[in-house]
Amino acid sequence: MTKNTWAAIAALAGCVLQGCSGRQPSGEKRPVIGVSLLNLSNELIATLDQSMEEKAKQMGVELIVNDAQRSAEKQVQQVESFVAQKVDAIILNPCEVEASSPAVEKALAAGIPIVNVNSETRAAPTAFVGSRDEEAGRIAMEYLAQRLNGKGNVAMMQGFLGQAAQIERDQGARDVLAKNPGMKLIAVQTAEWDRAKAMTLMENWNQSYGSRIDAVFAQNDEMAMGALIALEQAKRKDKVILAGVDAIPDALQAVHDGRLDATVFQDARGQGSAAVATALKILHKEPYEKQLFIPFQLVTKDNVAQFLK
Amino acid sequence: MEKPKIKSWPASLGLPVALAVLVAALSLARPNFLNLANLVNLVRQISINGILAVGVTYVLLTGGVDLSLGSVVALSGVAAACFAHPGQYPAIVPVAIGILAGAACGAANGLVVARGKVAPFIVTLGMMTAARGLALLVSGGRPVSNLAPGFTHIGSGNIAGVPEPILIFFFVALLSRVLLTNMRFGRYVYAVGGNENAALASGVPVRSVKMAAYTLCGALAGLAGVVLASRITTGQPNAGIGYELDAIAAVVIGGTSLNGGVGGVDGTILGALLMGVINNGLDLLNVSSYYQQVVKGLIIVGAVWLDRSKDR
Repeated sequence: MTKNTWAAIAALAGCVLQGCSGRQPSGEKRPVIGVSLLNLSNELIATLDQSMEEKAKQMGVELIVNDAQRSAEKQVQQVESFVAQKVDAIILNPCEVEASSPAVEKALAAGIPIVNVNSETRAAPTAFVGSRDEEAGRIAMEYLAQRLNGKGNVAMMQGFLGQAAQIERDQGARDVLAKNPGMKLIAVQTAEWDRAKAMTLMENWNQSYGSRIDAVFAQNDEMAMGALIALEQAKRKDKVILAGVDAIPDALQAVHDGRLDATVFQDARGQGSAAVATALKILHKEPYEKQLFIPFQLVTKDNVAQFLK
Repeated sequence: MEKPKIKSWPASLGLPVALAVLVAALSLARPNFLNLANLVNLVRQISINGILAVGVTYVLLTGGVDLSLGSVVALSGVAAACFAHPGQYPAIVPVAIGILAGAACGAANGLVVARGKVAPFIVTLGMMTAARGLALLVSGGRPVSNLAPGFTHIGSGNIAGVPEPILIFFFVALLSRVLLTNMRFGRYVYAVGGNENAALASGVPVRSVKMAAYTLCGALAGLAGVVLASRITTGQPNAGIGYELDAIAAVVIGGTSLNGGVGGVDGTILGALLMGVINNGLDLLNVSSYYQQVVKGLIIVGAVWLDRSKDR
């Protein structure tokens, strides 16, 4: 390698270490926020990312976005390199409650404010922006209870067992069931947030429970879509009430077409822009909410139009 | 050239016995297990894993392995879905594109394994990552939905009362059986896996055989991706995670050696059936998801153990 190449590499390395991209040509320093996301191949997280980038552009903030690809270890490394780069603030979309906690602790130890978005960690961050997953489970199950007049057999499809969203949506749904003694939970299984697995599970439920299932709560829309296809193919959809969570475009379209009964809208756009806004408030030493909850909303045929783009 | 000895089913009875015991136990516990609707349901559920397992049988027989199956399923599903929107093309176009995308990945694997002499584990691990990345790139990280009825019919429709995925699985298995047991190519595959140097010395075109095995495996993964996308009515970039392990498990349960040269498609079909029966049965019994994973693991290892102990 020539001397020039080495010089260029050294310059580049120095530039990265100083976070040179944080400076505008005018010399005035733009705040830099490091973002570590759970998984950009998830539609909800992609929306979260998009809304953060839009908000950052509007507020004149520079974002460095890293994708942890579901690995908490990778996420901790990403936060470590943000600390090394001396970013002004960090937005963390945690992979796991426990395993992502070191990332929060490392940022706080370095004196860098950290905002958790969408899901929580055990270690308390500077601020949290997200939604209460119990609320999503509660809203969906309340809808089913109302449609069944408080009486009937329910089956629940769980997400990936042990993840915070699964545990909390489970809890919210079960709270409603406890208040409605006429509603019986006759089957509970995981389909791991996955459409194909949910389809298989629903086919098997059709076999083993047949006409005894009156309603199905799927803890996300991917699974609700899988269950929907299986119910339609068994020509049983008109006898079963089906609700999901997340309001992904496919599910919204299905609600609009009268195929899916309901979904629960998780406002990823609202979460993303509120996370950037909160980080900026912290940086400017303005008052901010330590815990900001963006509400979920029930989506049915009556109000689906306002959610469809 | 001497015809290599091909171990054919049912040389050992461990697996059929395990399957029969399981089916008997399930039909006692749940009378609706053995009804026709559930059996059709069960075979339809295994058809995707079955197609993948038959494909990877070729590769395992040559003594290789293919870890990229799940990612290739996602890539070909997404690629097919991009050409399957309503009013775009007749269904044959997305199907062909999905299969070609799979075949291209397989051919790339085969090329590096056969020409570059890199360990198949590493080559296909690389493809696993690269194909997943391509699937995300092609789809922009979002599911590709709004597919034409002509395309989704493949996954949900029937021909003469039989679901199409089952028919596709059946033809794939039948053709592969003929190819492996009655054709020269099949003998070459066993020869390469049995003893590569001996095969080379007796004039087997080892490199071409490996190329063909990986390409076929990729093409079938592409086909499986098309069937999956059609069945779930979307091309999903994060579909198929872990499918390679289910497929390899089915093949190994079916008596094919991970060292190559021994086994065949018949065993693979039984292996895929066993895994399907376990999944379906545990759901019918409403066994808790936590126990299901433990039980599945035990049954898989137990079935292979039973099978191998009969051999000795």
